Amino acid sequence: MTGPSTPTKLGMNRGPSTPARGIGVDQRTLDLSGLNLTEKEDRSAIFEEAPKTRFARDKLLEEAKKVIDSEGTERKKEVSLVVIGHVDAGKSTLMGRMLYELGRLDEKTRLANERGSNKAGKSSFSWAWSLDGTTEERERGITMDIALQSMSTPHRHITILDAPGHKDFIPNMISGASQADCALLVVDAATGEFEAGFDRGGQTREHILLVRSLGVSQVVVAINKLDQVQWSKSRYDEICDFLRPFLVQSGFHPSKTRFVPVAAMQGVNLVSLDEDAAQELRQWYNGPTLADHLDQLDAPARDIYTPLRIPISNVFKGSTSGTAVSGRLCGGVVQVGERLRVLPGDETAAVKLIEVKDESVPWAAAGMNATLYLTSIDPVHLNIGNVLCPPTNLVPLATTFTARIIIFDIQIPITCGASIELFHHSRDVPATITNLVSTLDRASGSIIKKKPRVLTKGTSAEVQITLRTQSLSGPFVARPIPLESFSVNKDMGRILLRRGGETIGAGIVLEIFG
Amino acid sequence: MKLVGKFVDKHGAGHVSLRPEDDEDMWHLYNLIQKGDSVRAPAIRRVQKTSATGSIESQRIRLNLTLEVTNIEFSSFSAAAEQSSSTDPSGSNNSAALQIAGRVISENPHVKLGAFHTLDIEANRDVRIEKADGWDSIALSRVNEATVPGREQKLVQSTYDPRHSPDIVPIPRKAAASGSSQHEKALTKFYGTLYDAFIRHIPFGNVGLKAIVFASPGWVRDSVYDYVMQEAGRRGEKVLQRALKEKGVRIHISSPHVHSLVEVLKSPEIAAQLKETKFARRGITLDKFHKMLATDELRAWYGPDHVVLAADRGAIGTLLISDELFRASDPVTRKKYVALVESVQQKGGDAVIFSSMHESGQQLNQLSGIAAILTFPLDVEVVEAEEAGR
Ligand SMILES: Nc1nc2c(ncn2[C@@H]2O[C@H](COP(=O)(O)OP(=O)(O)OP(=O)(O)O)[C@@H](O)[C@H]2O)c(=O)[nH]1
Ligand SMILES: [Mg+2]
Repeated sequence: MTGPSTPTKLGMNRGPSTPARGIGVDQRTLDLSGLNLTEKEDRSAIFEEAPKTRFARDKLLEEAKKVIDSEGTERKKEVSLVVIGHVDAGKSTLMGRMLYELGRLDEKTRLANERGSNKAGKSSFSWAWSLDGTTEERERGITMDIALQSMSTPHRHITILDAPGHKDFIPNMISGASQADCALLVVDAATGEFEAGFDRGGQTREHILLVRSLGVSQVVVAINKLDQVQWSKSRYDEICDFLRPFLVQSGFHPSKTRFVPVAAMQGVNLVSLDEDAAQELRQWYNGPTLADHLDQLDAPARDIYTPLRIPISNVFKGSTSGTAVSGRLCGGVVQVGERLRVLPGDETAAVKLIEVKDESVPWAAAGMNATLYLTSIDPVHLNIGNVLCPPTNLVPLATTFTARIIIFDIQIPITCGASIELFHHSRDVPATITNLVSTLDRASGSIIKKKPRVLTKGTSAEVQITLRTQSLSGPFVARPIPLESFSVNKDMGRILLRRGGETIGAGIVLEIFG
Repeated sequence: MKLVGKFVDKHGAGHVSLRPEDDEDMWHLYNLIQKGDSVRAPAIRRVQKTSATGSIESQRIRLNLTLEVTNIEFSSFSAAAEQSSSTDPSGSNNSAALQIAGRVISENPHVKLGAFHTLDIEANRDVRIEKADGWDSIALSRVNEATVPGREQKLVQSTYDPRHSPDIVPIPRKAAASGSSQHEKALTKFYGTLYDAFIRHIPFGNVGLKAIVFASPGWVRDSVYDYVMQEAGRRGEKVLQRALKEKGVRIHISSPHVHSLVEVLKSPEIAAQLKETKFARRGITLDKFHKMLATDELRAWYGPDHVVLAADRGAIGTLLISDELFRASDPVTRKKYVALVESVQQKGGDAVIFSSMHESGQQLNQLSGIAAILTFPLDVEVVEAEEAGR
């Protein structure tokens, strides 16, 4: 594991083109630690900027640094949290109820949701309606896309990304998870339900692996619906004991993993354990509430000195003028008035306004989820999946690249030529594994075999990936996507591979060939 | 493609005349014609004549030319698509072009013998092919496959992918700071646009059509189907309503990308209609190979050298081979693969030829274009070591 307590570092045994990286040692299966590293980045040569803005930029970085450093003392720490778990585990209900308990949901809206869901014959989804906002979601009682909310605990300001659990919407879940620092895993304690969610094909397992592969290293596990199992302590313990080793194997350090018993519908142990409904739980539990746990989440490192990268996760019309785009900053700082390049493509746009947590702000820094209102660009050039960056420091565009990947628990092995879907932030594109370069030792990263014939489950490998054309008609050659090697920018260098609706592997970008 | 005439003796000498009709046929011709073959096809030639009065007139005339092929080129804008598909609403179905270059080898009043000429092969015009090396079994079976009536290519008449269509508006996601109202509004607009596109691109009135497939992850297919149905009702489009009721099939796929078309074709609803076709067989064979690779690696081999070794030992139960390998410019290479197919068949094995124009063929190409499922396990490394020791 690569938790701070065991910083074992090997490496240096790769070709000259591949920078040395630290690699955690763990022989167990599905160790993702090799993909999530905690080394410090090299900070140099980033002050280069067009002369016109240099002075302002220096001051901006100074200001940003000051504000970020005051996080935790003068200001609450900021974290973003993706809520994950199998379909119907109660993620949206939990968040809806939590918003209410923390005073983020007013009585009027609560009543409206209660009445509306009742009328639709879906009264049990009343709490979920705060997050399941579209007609289709409400009709079906299923979350289909990420809902964005925010809430405050005494010491934290938390951006909530409520993910869909249904497996058809994993692309949306991935888009949400790549904007998060921490995860809240919700599991259904009801008899048979936890098991269904954890079995092959269940999303509990897949979501855990996905968020870890995307760089999330802290997880709070809420064992939900305890009312359905008569508040049984043994059921609670059984589920914790089951999940604990799996989380470790998946690369979560035990010190960054928390468990908490809850009942979302009745609001038990979310913010307090005092209500009547919590009486039975109090018999055997007097530990922290869910809110207590969330209040202790670590804030992410904010690397404001790396070049600005904003992968766009949503595009919509601004209320007054311009086009709004949102996304999490993967490095750098952006300020109002700046011009940004939109990749892929030749267009640039001007930043007219920046919003963070629904407030207009003069700048936003790495790790923040921001909405930028852009002008002097035709909205047709702004699409989900595009990346914004400074015109003077572009993200490389890739159609062919090498990656180091770990293969998940798959049934059909990966051969050279396998068709896959490549996921990078909010974008997914068809691609082909064009070369199996080598299989690697999971622990040391050293080459086990060159040019393997197949990659089976649990192996770590270096492969070459080439994008495929996306449309039925049109050019043969695939359009490149903005991508960066992991050694340059971690958040821009993580990829996921899926096939036939199943995640088959995760990895990091090594080298881009164009 | 129509078979106009076929005169081939038992040694493979002779000629075949074919009339191509669509993209898939151009692809067949591209695979049939090789350098050195002689091809007779219509061409347009500008000729100058001196009239009785002494003035010079330029005239375009249509004539048949016979070339000895020195070069052949195929280009297509839809080759990435599964099956031959057309997004051209007129249904003319032609986005592929086949060009043949070579020297003129038959006397003609307008063209000098030995002159260099380039022919664009046109749909509905006869092409006569005589093979330099004679007709081998692969070429003849390709002629058969290409000319049987009602062959697979017609299975997918038309495809429409809204994700990559210029007429479709982007839909803001619900997480927008402005709430989900923009999402709902754009969604309604999306359905409306999709309806118009459906009318334009899908030949729903065609009586020969067996199914109109709506495929998507999630429930988009249901929403779209319901919308189109409702809208057809509102506009009194009786033909469309009936077509949807009788032929509308909704199929779940795991991703919205083009390669998920394979999932559509493998779905029970559609597979039932495709049962006897080559396509289904190729898809199933490739699946079998992958499964074998997972369960018994020693019985799933790929790569030309390895597969030839397996064939030498009579171990091949099913040979998977891409048409790309037969298109080798070097006739010796082609002969090698023809012989391989024949030897597998002689030993009772199955040989399945994949078309590079289709998804399954492209996947096989990525896997070196050749693979085999063995009847008994063999260790590649052991066999190689034995060969080296000989
Ligand atoms: N008995 C009981 N039911 C609950 C509890 N929490 C949630 N539920 C019910 O579980 C069902 C699913 O709840 P949701 O909040 O939509 O679940 P979800 O995890 O958001 O589902 P998706 O987003 O579609 O994956 C609803 O009917 C809820 O009322 C609980 O604590 N106890
Ligand atoms: Mg939900």
